[in-house]
Amino acid sequence: MSIEIIQNILIVLLAAYVTLDNLGITIVNYWAVTTGMIAGFIMGDLKTGLLIGGTFQLMSLGVAGLGGASVPDYGLAALVGTFLAARTGSGLTAAIAVGLPVGLLAINFDVLVKILNNFVAHRMQTYAHKHEFEKMRMIGLVGPLMFALKNAIIMTIIVSVGPKAVNAILAIIPKWVTNGLNIAGGMLPVLGIALLMHYMPVKKYIWAVFIGFVFSAYLKLPIIGISILGAAASIIVYKVGLSKSEAKASTANVDSNNEETEDDDYDE
Amino acid sequence: MTSKIDETTTITAGNKKVEITKKDRHHAILRWMFMGSALFNYETQQATSVVWSFSKLLRKIYPDDDEYVQALDNHFKYFNTTTAMANIILGATTAMEEKDGIKSKDAVQALKTSLMGPFAGIGDTIIWVLLPTVMGSISGYMAINGNPLGALAWILIGAIIFWIRLKLFDVGYNSGVKLVTEFGDKLSLFTDAISVLGLMVVGTLAATVVKVYTPLTFMTGKVKLSVQTGIFNNIMPALLPVCLTYLVYKMLNSKFWTPTKIIVALIVLSLVGSFTGILGVMPTK
Repeated sequence: MSIEIIQNILIVLLAAYVTLDNLGITIVNYWAVTTGMIAGFIMGDLKTGLLIGGTFQLMSLGVAGLGGASVPDYGLAALVGTFLAARTGSGLTAAIAVGLPVGLLAINFDVLVKILNNFVAHRMQTYAHKHEFEKMRMIGLVGPLMFALKNAIIMTIIVSVGPKAVNAILAIIPKWVTNGLNIAGGMLPVLGIALLMHYMPVKKYIWAVFIGFVFSAYLKLPIIGISILGAAASIIVYKVGLSKSEAKASTANVDSNNEETEDDDYDE
Repeated sequence: MTSKIDETTTITAGNKKVEITKKDRHHAILRWMFMGSALFNYETQQATSVVWSFSKLLRKIYPDDDEYVQALDNHFKYFNTTTAMANIILGATTAMEEKDGIKSKDAVQALKTSLMGPFAGIGDTIIWVLLPTVMGSISGYMAINGNPLGALAWILIGAIIFWIRLKLFDVGYNSGVKLVTEFGDKLSLFTDAISVLGLMVVGTLAATVVKVYTPLTFMTGKVKLSVQTGIFNNIMPALLPVCLTYLVYKMLNSKFWTPTKIIVALIVLSLVGSFTGILGVMPTK
Protein backbone atom coordinates (compact mmCIF):
# COMPACT_ATOMS: atom_id res chain seq x y z
CA MET A 1 0.00 0.00 0.00
CA SER A 2 2.66 2.48 1.01
CA ILE A 3 4.68 1.81 -2.13
CA GLU A 4 1.63 2.71 -4.17
CA ILE A 5 1.40 6.09 -2.43
CA ILE A 6 5.08 6.78 -3.10
CA GLN A 7 4.54 5.84 -6.75
CA ASN A 8 1.51 8.15 -6.94
CA ILE A 9 3.49 11.07 -5.53
CA LEU A 10 6.43 10.46 -7.85
CA ILE A 11 4.12 10.25 -10.89
CA VAL A 12 2.48 13.59 -10.00
CA LEU A 13 5.91 15.19 -9.48
CA LEU A 14 7.12 13.76 -12.79
CA ALA A 15 4.08 15.24 -14.55
CA ALA A 16 4.84 18.66 -13.05
CA TYR A 17 8.54 18.50 -13.88
CA VAL A 18 8.38 17.31 -17.51
CA THR A 19 6.17 20.18 -18.59
CA LEU A 20 8.62 22.70 -17.11
CA ASP A 21 11.54 20.89 -18.72
CA ASN A 22 9.73 21.07 -22.05
CA LEU A 23 9.21 24.83 -21.82
CA GLY A 24 12.80 25.79 -21.16
CA ILE A 25 15.44 23.27 -20.14
CA THR A 26 14.54 20.64 -22.78
CA ILE A 27 16.93 17.90 -21.60
CA VAL A 28 14.52 15.14 -20.51
CA ASN A 29 11.83 17.05 -22.37
CA TYR A 30 8.24 15.98 -22.65
CA TRP A 31 8.52 13.34 -25.34
CA ALA A 32 6.06 10.51 -24.96
CA VAL A 33 8.85 7.93 -25.12
CA THR A 34 11.10 9.53 -22.47
CA THR A 35 8.22 10.34 -20.08
CA GLY A 36 6.71 6.89 -20.63
CA MET A 37 10.06 5.28 -19.88
CA ILE A 38 10.54 7.20 -16.62
CA ALA A 39 6.90 6.60 -15.62
CA GLY A 40 7.37 2.89 -16.31
CA PHE A 41 10.51 2.91 -14.18
CA ILE A 42 8.60 4.56 -11.30
CA MET A 43 5.75 2.07 -11.60
CA GLY A 44 8.20 -0.84 -11.61
CA ASP A 45 7.04 -1.84 -15.09
CA LEU A 46 9.59 -0.46 -17.53
CA LYS A 47 8.35 -2.64 -20.38
CA THR A 48 4.80 -1.25 -20.24
CA GLY A 49 6.16 2.29 -19.98
CA LEU A 50 8.30 1.77 -23.06
CA LEU A 51 5.47 0.15 -25.03
CA ILE A 52 2.98 2.92 -24.27
CA GLY A 53 5.54 5.73 -24.51
CA GLY A 54 6.77 4.34 -27.82
CA THR A 55 3.23 3.99 -29.21
CA PHE A 56 2.32 7.58 -28.32
CA GLN A 57 5.70 8.76 -29.60
CA LEU A 58 5.01 7.27 -33.03
CA MET A 59 1.53 8.88 -32.96
CA SER A 60 3.02 12.26 -32.16
CA LEU A 61 5.74 12.27 -34.83
CA GLY A 62 5.67 15.61 -36.60
CA VAL A 63 3.05 17.14 -34.32
CA ALA A 64 4.86 20.22 -33.05
CA GLY A 65 3.51 23.19 -31.09
CA LEU A 66 5.23 25.89 -33.09
CA GLY A 67 4.80 29.61 -32.54
CA GLY A 68 2.85 29.05 -29.34
CA ALA A 69 0.29 26.74 -30.91
CA SER A 70 -1.30 24.25 -28.52
CA VAL A 71 -1.12 20.64 -29.64
CA PRO A 72 -2.39 17.34 -28.19
CA ASP A 73 -0.38 16.55 -25.11
CA TYR A 74 1.08 13.17 -26.06
CA GLY A 75 3.58 13.33 -23.20
CA LEU A 76 0.74 13.54 -20.70
CA ALA A 77 -1.10 10.83 -22.61
CA ALA A 78 1.91 8.55 -22.20
CA LEU A 79 2.12 9.37 -18.49
CA VAL A 80 -1.56 8.73 -17.83
CA GLY A 81 -1.51 5.64 -20.04
CA THR A 82 1.56 4.14 -18.39
CA PHE A 83 0.26 4.79 -14.89
CA LEU A 84 -3.13 3.21 -15.58
CA ALA A 85 -1.80 0.27 -17.57
CA ALA A 86 0.77 -0.58 -14.91
CA ARG A 87 -1.65 -0.11 -12.01
CA THR A 88 -4.62 -1.97 -13.49
CA GLY A 89 -2.74 -4.37 -15.75
CA SER A 90 -5.06 -3.42 -18.61
CA GLY A 91 -2.43 -2.88 -21.31
CA LEU A 92 -2.30 -0.66 -24.37
CA THR A 93 -6.04 -0.40 -25.04
CA ALA A 94 -6.80 1.33 -21.73
CA ALA A 95 -3.76 3.56 -22.24
CA ILE A 96 -5.11 4.78 -25.57
CA ALA A 97 -8.74 4.90 -24.38
CA VAL A 98 -7.94 7.15 -21.41
CA GLY A 99 -4.55 8.68 -22.23
CA LEU A 100 -5.50 10.13 -25.62
CA PRO A 101 -8.67 11.97 -24.47
CA VAL A 102 -6.76 13.38 -21.48
CA GLY A 103 -4.01 14.53 -23.84
CA LEU A 104 -6.62 16.23 -26.05
CA LEU A 105 -8.38 17.87 -23.08
CA ALA A 106 -5.06 19.17 -21.79
CA ILE A 107 -4.90 21.53 -24.80
CA ASN A 108 -7.64 23.63 -23.20
CA PHE A 109 -5.70 23.99 -19.95
CA ASP A 110 -2.61 24.93 -21.91
CA VAL A 111 -4.57 27.73 -23.57
CA LEU A 112 -5.97 28.78 -20.20
CA VAL A 113 -2.50 29.10 -18.62
CA LYS A 114 -1.30 31.17 -21.57
CA ILE A 115 -4.30 33.49 -21.14
CA LEU A 116 -3.63 33.81 -17.39
CA ASN A 117 0.02 34.56 -18.17
CA ASN A 118 -1.24 37.75 -19.78
CA PHE A 119 -2.25 39.04 -16.35
CA VAL A 120 1.15 38.03 -15.00
CA ALA A 121 2.80 40.00 -17.79
CA HIS A 122 0.82 43.16 -16.96
CA ARG A 123 1.50 42.74 -13.24
CA MET A 124 5.23 42.44 -13.96
CA GLN A 125 5.25 45.60 -16.03
CA THR A 126 3.29 47.47 -13.35
CA TYR A 127 5.85 46.44 -10.73
CA ALA A 128 8.65 47.52 -13.04
CA HIS A 129 7.09 50.98 -13.38
CA LYS A 130 6.72 51.18 -9.59
CA HIS A 131 10.43 50.31 -9.30
CA GLU A 132 9.58 47.19 -7.30
CA PHE A 133 11.96 44.96 -9.19
CA GLU A 134 12.18 42.12 -6.69
CA LYS A 135 8.39 41.77 -6.71
CA MET A 136 8.48 41.81 -10.53
CA ARG A 137 10.74 38.76 -10.55
CA MET A 138 8.72 36.99 -7.86
CA ILE A 139 5.42 37.35 -9.71
CA GLY A 140 7.18 36.01 -12.81
CA LEU A 141 7.44 32.63 -11.12
CA VAL A 142 3.66 32.32 -11.28
CA GLY A 143 3.95 31.38 -14.99
CA PRO A 144 5.99 28.19 -14.52
CA LEU A 145 4.03 27.44 -11.34
CA MET A 146 0.74 27.45 -13.28
CA PHE A 147 2.17 25.22 -16.00
CA ALA A 148 3.42 22.74 -13.39
CA LEU A 149 0.09 22.84 -11.51
CA LYS A 150 -1.83 22.26 -14.72
CA ASN A 151 -0.20 18.85 -15.10
CA ALA A 152 -0.04 18.09 -11.38
CA ILE A 153 -3.79 18.64 -10.94
CA ILE A 154 -4.74 16.50 -13.94
CA MET A 155 -2.38 13.76 -12.76
CA THR A 156 -3.67 13.90 -9.18
CA ILE A 157 -7.20 13.32 -10.43
CA ILE A 158 -6.06 10.40 -12.59
CA VAL A 159 -4.03 8.91 -9.75
CA SER A 160 -6.88 9.12 -7.24
CA VAL A 161 -9.89 8.03 -9.31
CA GLY A 162 -8.29 6.67 -12.50
CA PRO A 163 -7.70 2.96 -11.79
CA LYS A 164 -11.22 2.37 -10.45
CA ALA A 165 -12.81 4.30 -13.31
CA VAL A 166 -10.72 2.45 -15.89
CA ASN A 167 -11.70 -0.93 -14.51
CA ALA A 168 -15.36 0.11 -14.53
CA ILE A 169 -15.12 1.43 -18.10
CA LEU A 170 -13.28 -1.65 -19.36
CA ALA A 171 -15.94 -3.90 -17.82
CA ILE A 172 -18.77 -2.37 -19.86
CA ILE A 173 -16.93 -1.40 -23.04
CA PRO A 174 -17.80 -3.71 -25.98
CA LYS A 175 -15.15 -5.61 -27.91
CA TRP A 176 -15.57 -3.62 -31.13
CA VAL A 177 -14.78 -0.37 -29.29
CA THR A 178 -11.51 -1.61 -27.81
CA ASN A 179 -10.71 -3.09 -31.22
CA GLY A 180 -11.51 0.25 -32.87
CA LEU A 181 -9.24 2.12 -30.44
CA ASN A 182 -6.40 -0.22 -31.30
CA ILE A 183 -7.03 0.44 -35.01
CA ALA A 184 -6.99 4.17 -34.29
CA GLY A 185 -3.67 3.72 -32.51
CA GLY A 186 -2.25 2.34 -35.73
CA MET A 187 -3.74 5.05 -37.92
CA LEU A 188 -3.08 8.20 -35.87
CA PRO A 189 0.63 8.55 -36.76
CA VAL A 190 -0.60 9.57 -40.21
CA LEU A 191 -1.47 13.03 -38.90
CA GLY A 192 2.07 13.82 -37.82
CA ILE A 193 3.51 12.56 -41.09
CA ALA A 194 1.09 14.73 -43.07
CA LEU A 195 1.95 17.74 -40.88
CA LEU A 196 5.66 17.10 -41.42
CA MET A 197 5.11 17.18 -45.16
CA HIS A 198 3.53 20.60 -44.69
CA TYR A 199 6.47 22.01 -42.72
CA MET A 200 9.16 20.66 -45.00
CA PRO A 201 10.07 21.49 -48.61
CA VAL A 202 8.36 18.32 -49.81
CA LYS A 203 7.87 19.46 -53.41
CA LYS A 204 11.51 20.41 -53.81
CA TYR A 205 12.88 17.15 -52.40
CA ILE A 206 10.13 14.65 -53.23
CA TRP A 207 12.85 12.24 -54.41
CA ALA A 208 13.98 11.85 -50.78
CA VAL A 209 10.49 10.68 -49.78
CA PHE A 210 10.51 8.11 -52.58
CA ILE A 211 13.96 6.78 -51.67
CA GLY A 212 12.95 6.45 -48.02
CA PHE A 213 9.76 4.65 -48.99
CA VAL A 214 11.42 2.16 -51.35
CA PHE A 215 14.22 1.33 -48.92
CA SER A 216 11.81 0.61 -46.07
CA ALA A 217 8.71 -0.81 -47.81
CA TYR A 218 10.48 -3.00 -50.36
CA LEU A 219 13.99 -3.50 -49.02
CA LYS A 220 13.05 -3.55 -45.28
CA LEU A 221 16.01 -1.37 -44.24
CA PRO A 222 15.73 -0.43 -40.53
CA ILE A 223 15.15 3.21 -39.61
CA ILE A 224 18.72 3.83 -38.41
CA GLY A 225 20.02 2.67 -41.79
CA ILE A 226 17.67 5.08 -43.53
CA SER A 227 18.79 7.91 -41.26
CA ILE A 228 22.40 7.29 -42.23
CA LEU A 229 21.40 7.23 -45.90
CA GLY A 230 19.53 10.50 -45.34
CA ALA A 231 22.53 12.05 -43.60
CA ALA A 232 24.66 11.17 -46.64
CA ALA A 233 22.09 12.83 -48.93
CA SER A 234 22.04 15.96 -46.74
CA ILE A 235 25.81 16.31 -46.95
CA ILE A 236 25.58 16.22 -50.75
CA VAL A 237 22.75 18.77 -50.81
CA TYR A 238 24.66 21.05 -48.40
CA LYS A 239 27.88 20.90 -50.43
CA VAL A 240 26.08 21.51 -53.72
CA GLY A 241 24.14 24.39 -52.18
CA LEU A 242 27.30 25.92 -50.71
CA SER A 243 29.20 25.83 -54.01
CA LYS A 244 26.12 27.24 -55.76
CA SER A 245 25.85 30.18 -53.36
CA GLU A 246 29.60 30.81 -53.58
CA ALA A 247 29.38 30.86 -57.35
CA LYS A 248 26.44 33.24 -57.07
CA ALA A 249 28.35 35.48 -54.68
CA SER A 250 31.35 35.68 -56.99
CA THR A 251 29.23 36.50 -60.05
CA ALA A 252 27.41 39.10 -57.98
CA ASN A 253 30.77 40.67 -57.16
CA VAL A 254 31.84 40.71 -60.80
CA ASP A 255 28.60 42.12 -62.10
CA SER A 256 26.53 43.82 -59.43
CA ASN A 257 23.98 44.98 -62.01
CA ASN A 258 23.06 41.43 -62.80
CA GLU A 259 19.70 41.05 -61.12
CA GLU A 260 19.07 37.48 -62.10
CA THR A 261 19.34 35.25 -59.07
CA GLU A 262 18.05 31.77 -58.68
CA ASP A 263 15.36 31.41 -56.08
CA ASP A 264 16.70 29.22 -53.30
CA ASP A 265 13.75 29.53 -50.99
CA TYR A 266 11.46 26.75 -49.93
CA ASP A 267 8.76 25.87 -52.38
CA GLU A 268 6.36 25.72 -49.52
CA MET B 1 32.14 44.63 -31.38
CA THR B 2 35.47 43.48 -30.08
CA SER B 3 34.63 42.63 -26.48
CA LYS B 4 34.93 38.97 -25.57
CA ILE B 5 32.65 37.05 -23.26
CA ASP B 6 35.40 36.20 -20.78
CA GLU B 7 36.30 39.85 -20.38
CA THR B 8 34.83 42.07 -17.77
CA THR B 9 32.92 45.14 -18.81
CA THR B 10 32.97 48.09 -16.49
CA ILE B 11 30.01 50.42 -16.50
CA THR B 12 30.41 53.83 -14.98
CA ALA B 13 27.34 55.74 -13.98
CA GLY B 14 27.96 58.84 -11.89
CA ASN B 15 30.29 57.71 -9.16
CA LYS B 16 29.07 54.09 -9.22
CA LYS B 17 31.24 51.50 -10.94
CA VAL B 18 29.69 48.17 -11.80
CA GLU B 19 31.59 45.22 -13.18
CA ILE B 20 29.83 42.74 -15.42
CA THR B 21 31.50 39.37 -15.62
CA LYS B 22 31.01 36.30 -17.74
CA LYS B 23 29.36 34.74 -14.70
CA ASP B 24 26.68 37.46 -14.62
CA ARG B 25 25.92 36.93 -18.28
CA HIS B 26 25.75 33.16 -17.96
CA HIS B 27 23.51 33.56 -14.92
CA ALA B 28 21.10 35.55 -17.09
CA ILE B 29 21.09 33.11 -19.99
CA LEU B 30 20.65 30.13 -17.63
CA ARG B 31 17.61 31.89 -16.16
CA TRP B 32 16.32 32.21 -19.74
CA MET B 33 17.05 28.56 -20.47
CA PHE B 34 15.00 27.62 -17.40
CA MET B 35 12.09 30.02 -18.06
CA GLY B 36 11.85 29.71 -21.86
CA SER B 37 8.18 29.73 -22.79
CA ALA B 38 6.88 29.27 -19.22
CA LEU B 39 5.70 32.91 -19.16
CA PHE B 40 4.26 32.61 -22.67
CA ASN B 41 1.21 34.82 -23.15
CA TYR B 42 -0.83 35.62 -26.24
CA GLU B 43 -0.06 39.34 -26.20
CA THR B 44 3.72 39.62 -26.02
CA GLN B 45 4.54 35.88 -26.14
CA GLN B 46 8.06 35.32 -24.76
CA ALA B 47 8.77 38.96 -23.87
CA THR B 48 8.06 38.55 -20.16
CA SER B 49 10.39 35.55 -20.04
CA VAL B 50 13.18 37.71 -21.46
CA VAL B 51 12.52 40.42 -18.87
CA TRP B 52 12.41 37.91 -16.02
CA SER B 53 15.65 36.26 -17.13
CA PHE B 54 17.71 39.34 -17.90
CA SER B 55 16.38 41.73 -15.25
CA LYS B 56 19.33 41.15 -12.89
CA LEU B 57 21.93 41.59 -15.62
CA LEU B 58 20.17 44.68 -16.98
CA ARG B 59 20.14 46.16 -13.47
CA LYS B 60 23.95 45.98 -13.56
CA ILE B 61 24.09 47.56 -17.00
CA TYR B 62 21.67 50.33 -16.00
CA PRO B 63 22.37 51.42 -12.42
CA ASP B 64 20.10 54.40 -13.05
CA ASP B 65 16.47 53.60 -12.21
CA ASP B 66 14.91 55.51 -15.11
CA GLU B 67 17.21 53.99 -17.70
CA TYR B 68 16.61 50.57 -16.20
CA VAL B 69 12.83 50.90 -16.51
CA GLN B 70 13.23 52.13 -20.09
CA ALA B 71 15.36 49.10 -20.91
CA LEU B 72 12.86 46.74 -19.24
CA ASP B 73 9.99 48.34 -21.15
CA ASN B 74 11.97 47.80 -24.32
CA HIS B 75 12.19 44.08 -23.56
CA PHE B 76 8.53 43.94 -22.53
CA LYS B 77 7.70 44.31 -26.23
CA TYR B 78 6.62 41.31 -28.34
CA PHE B 79 9.26 38.65 -28.79
CA ASN B 80 8.92 35.05 -29.93
CA THR B 81 11.39 32.64 -31.46
CA THR B 82 12.75 29.14 -30.86
CA THR B 83 14.03 29.29 -27.27
CA ALA B 84 17.38 27.81 -28.26
CA MET B 85 17.90 30.30 -31.11
CA ALA B 86 16.96 33.21 -28.86
CA ASN B 87 20.29 32.59 -27.12
CA ILE B 88 22.21 33.96 -30.13
CA ILE B 89 19.96 37.00 -30.43
CA LEU B 90 20.08 37.72 -26.69
CA GLY B 91 23.87 37.31 -26.74
CA ALA B 92 24.13 39.98 -29.42
CA THR B 93 21.71 42.37 -27.67
CA THR B 94 23.57 41.94 -24.36
CA ALA B 95 26.80 42.97 -26.07
CA MET B 96 25.05 46.00 -27.62
CA GLU B 97 23.54 47.12 -24.32
CA GLU B 98 26.81 46.72 -22.44
CA LYS B 99 28.61 48.78 -25.05
CA ASP B 100 26.16 51.60 -25.75
CA GLY B 101 23.78 51.52 -22.80
CA ILE B 102 20.32 53.00 -23.24
CA LYS B 103 21.36 54.57 -26.58
CA SER B 104 21.23 51.06 -28.05
CA LYS B 105 17.53 50.74 -27.19
CA ASP B 106 16.16 51.08 -30.72
CA ALA B 107 18.93 49.00 -32.27
CA VAL B 108 18.27 46.22 -29.74
CA GLN B 109 14.58 46.26 -30.58
CA ALA B 110 15.30 46.27 -34.32
CA LEU B 111 17.71 43.36 -34.04
CA LYS B 112 15.29 41.30 -31.98
CA THR B 113 12.31 41.85 -34.28
CA SER B 114 14.26 41.36 -37.49
CA LEU B 115 15.96 38.13 -36.43
CA MET B 116 13.27 36.37 -34.41
CA GLY B 117 11.29 35.35 -37.52
CA PRO B 118 14.08 33.80 -39.60
CA PHE B 119 15.69 32.24 -36.52
CA ALA B 120 12.38 30.67 -35.51
CA GLY B 121 11.98 29.26 -39.02
CA ILE B 122 15.36 27.58 -38.83
CA GLY B 123 15.31 26.63 -35.15
CA ASP B 124 11.79 25.22 -35.12
CA THR B 125 12.53 23.11 -38.19
CA ILE B 126 15.68 21.60 -36.74
CA ILE B 127 14.86 21.42 -33.02
CA TRP B 128 11.12 20.85 -32.95
CA VAL B 129 10.50 19.04 -36.27
CA LEU B 130 13.52 17.23 -37.69
CA LEU B 131 15.24 16.04 -34.52
CA PRO B 132 12.01 14.76 -32.93
CA THR B 133 11.07 13.02 -36.18
CA VAL B 134 14.32 11.15 -36.54
CA MET B 135 14.92 10.49 -32.84
CA GLY B 136 11.21 9.89 -32.19
CA SER B 137 10.90 7.20 -34.82
CA ILE B 138 14.16 5.51 -33.79
CA SER B 139 13.47 5.57 -30.05
CA GLY B 140 9.74 4.88 -30.52
CA TYR B 141 10.46 1.69 -32.44
CA MET B 142 13.10 0.56 -29.98
CA ALA B 143 10.76 1.27 -27.05
CA ILE B 144 7.91 -0.76 -28.53
CA ASN B 145 10.31 -3.68 -28.73
CA GLY B 146 11.24 -3.14 -25.08
CA ASN B 147 14.57 -1.39 -25.67
CA PRO B 148 15.14 1.83 -23.67
CA LEU B 149 18.42 2.78 -25.39
CA GLY B 150 16.80 5.08 -27.96
CA ALA B 151 14.99 7.08 -25.28
CA LEU B 152 18.15 7.28 -23.16
CA ALA B 153 20.15 8.45 -26.18
CA TRP B 154 17.56 11.16 -26.76
CA ILE B 155 18.00 12.47 -23.20
CA LEU B 156 21.77 12.48 -23.76
CA ILE B 157 21.26 14.49 -26.97
CA GLY B 158 19.13 16.92 -24.95
CA ALA B 159 22.02 17.42 -22.56
CA ILE B 160 24.47 18.00 -25.42
CA ILE B 161 22.10 20.52 -27.01
CA PHE B 162 21.84 22.28 -23.64
CA TRP B 163 25.61 22.80 -23.71
CA ILE B 164 25.48 23.95 -27.36
CA ARG B 165 22.79 26.50 -26.47
CA LEU B 166 25.06 27.97 -23.81
CA LYS B 167 27.78 28.26 -26.47
CA LEU B 168 25.32 29.88 -28.91
CA PHE B 169 24.85 32.69 -26.39
CA ASP B 170 28.62 33.24 -26.30
CA VAL B 171 28.70 33.20 -30.11
CA GLY B 172 26.01 35.87 -30.24
CA TYR B 173 27.76 37.96 -27.60
CA ASN B 174 31.18 37.78 -29.23
CA SER B 175 30.29 38.04 -32.88
CA GLY B 176 27.82 40.88 -32.77
CA VAL B 177 25.15 41.93 -35.18
CA LYS B 178 26.80 41.38 -38.55
CA LEU B 179 28.02 37.86 -37.94
CA VAL B 180 24.75 36.85 -36.36
CA THR B 181 22.99 37.84 -39.57
CA GLU B 182 25.49 35.91 -41.69
CA PHE B 183 25.16 32.90 -39.41
CA GLY B 184 21.44 32.96 -40.13
CA ASP B 185 22.07 32.82 -43.89
CA LYS B 186 24.28 29.76 -43.62
CA LEU B 187 21.86 28.05 -41.28
CA SER B 188 19.04 28.28 -43.81
CA LEU B 189 21.09 26.23 -46.27
CA PHE B 190 21.86 23.81 -43.45
CA THR B 191 18.14 23.52 -42.68
CA ASP B 192 17.41 22.85 -46.32
CA ALA B 193 20.02 20.09 -46.47
CA ILE B 194 18.89 18.44 -43.25
CA SER B 195 15.29 18.54 -44.51
CA VAL B 196 16.38 15.91 -47.04
CA LEU B 197 17.17 13.57 -44.15
CA GLY B 198 13.82 14.40 -42.58
CA LEU B 199 11.94 13.72 -45.80
CA MET B 200 13.65 10.39 -46.29
CA VAL B 201 12.45 9.45 -42.81
CA VAL B 202 8.96 10.70 -43.77
CA GLY B 203 8.96 8.26 -46.69
CA THR B 204 9.89 5.47 -44.28
CA LEU B 205 7.26 6.44 -41.73
CA ALA B 206 4.45 6.37 -44.27
CA ALA B 207 5.45 2.80 -45.10
CA THR B 208 6.06 1.45 -41.62
CA VAL B 209 4.45 3.45 -38.81
CA VAL B 210 0.97 4.00 -40.24
CA LYS B 211 -1.09 0.84 -40.00
CA VAL B 212 -4.29 0.41 -41.99
CA TYR B 213 -5.50 -3.15 -42.44
CA THR B 214 -8.67 -4.72 -43.75
CA PRO B 215 -9.68 -8.27 -42.77
CA LEU B 216 -12.25 -8.44 -45.64
CA THR B 217 -12.25 -11.51 -47.84
CA PHE B 218 -13.93 -12.29 -51.19
CA MET B 219 -15.32 -15.65 -52.15
CA THR B 220 -14.79 -16.39 -55.82
CA GLY B 221 -16.18 -19.82 -56.41
CA LYS B 222 -14.45 -21.96 -53.83
CA VAL B 223 -11.34 -19.77 -53.59
CA LYS B 224 -11.18 -17.39 -50.64
CA LEU B 225 -9.31 -14.22 -51.50
CA SER B 226 -8.06 -11.85 -48.81
CA VAL B 227 -8.42 -8.25 -49.94
CA GLN B 228 -5.34 -7.23 -47.98
CA THR B 229 -2.79 -9.89 -48.88
CA GLY B 230 -4.38 -10.93 -52.20
CA ILE B 231 -5.01 -7.51 -53.75
CA PHE B 232 -3.55 -4.49 -51.94
CA ASN B 233 -0.19 -6.02 -51.04
CA ASN B 234 0.25 -7.18 -54.62
CA ILE B 235 -0.20 -3.67 -55.99
CA MET B 236 2.25 -2.06 -53.58
CA PRO B 237 3.37 -2.65 -50.00
CA ALA B 238 1.71 -0.21 -47.58
CA LEU B 239 -0.82 0.89 -50.24
CA LEU B 240 -3.56 1.86 -47.75
CA PRO B 241 -1.22 3.78 -45.41
CA VAL B 242 0.17 5.75 -48.36
CA CYS B 243 -3.35 6.63 -49.57
CA LEU B 244 -4.35 7.71 -46.06
CA THR B 245 -1.21 9.83 -45.71
CA TYR B 246 -1.97 11.60 -48.98
CA LEU B 247 -5.60 12.13 -47.97
CA VAL B 248 -4.70 13.68 -44.59
CA TYR B 249 -2.00 15.79 -46.26
CA LYS B 250 -4.67 17.21 -48.59
CA MET B 251 -7.17 17.65 -45.73
CA LEU B 252 -4.67 19.85 -43.91
CA ASN B 253 -4.83 22.30 -46.81
CA SER B 254 -8.38 23.18 -45.89
CA LYS B 255 -9.08 25.60 -43.07
CA PHE B 256 -11.80 23.35 -41.68
CA TRP B 257 -9.61 20.35 -40.85
CA THR B 258 -7.54 21.29 -37.81
CA PRO B 259 -5.24 18.58 -36.38
CA THR B 260 -7.62 18.00 -33.47
CA LYS B 261 -10.58 17.49 -35.81
CA ILE B 262 -8.52 15.04 -37.86
CA ILE B 263 -7.67 13.04 -34.73
CA VAL B 264 -11.35 12.81 -33.80
CA ALA B 265 -12.28 11.89 -37.40
CA LEU B 266 -9.68 9.10 -37.46
CA ILE B 267 -10.97 7.69 -34.16
CA VAL B 268 -14.55 7.73 -35.49
CA LEU B 269 -13.38 6.08 -38.73
CA SER B 270 -11.60 3.36 -36.73
CA LEU B 271 -14.66 2.71 -34.55
CA VAL B 272 -16.97 2.52 -37.58
CA GLY B 273 -14.45 0.31 -39.40
CA SER B 274 -14.17 -1.96 -36.39
CA PHE B 275 -17.96 -2.18 -35.95
CA THR B 276 -18.62 -3.03 -39.60
CA GLY B 277 -15.58 -5.30 -39.89
CA ILE B 278 -14.08 -3.31 -42.76
CA LEU B 279 -11.01 -2.43 -40.70
CA GLY B 280 -9.09 -4.65 -38.34
CA VAL B 281 -5.98 -4.75 -36.19
CA MET B 282 -3.04 -5.79 -38.32
CA PRO B 283 -2.02 -9.35 -37.34
CA THR B 284 1.58 -9.47 -36.14
CA LYS B 285 3.77 -11.52 -38.41
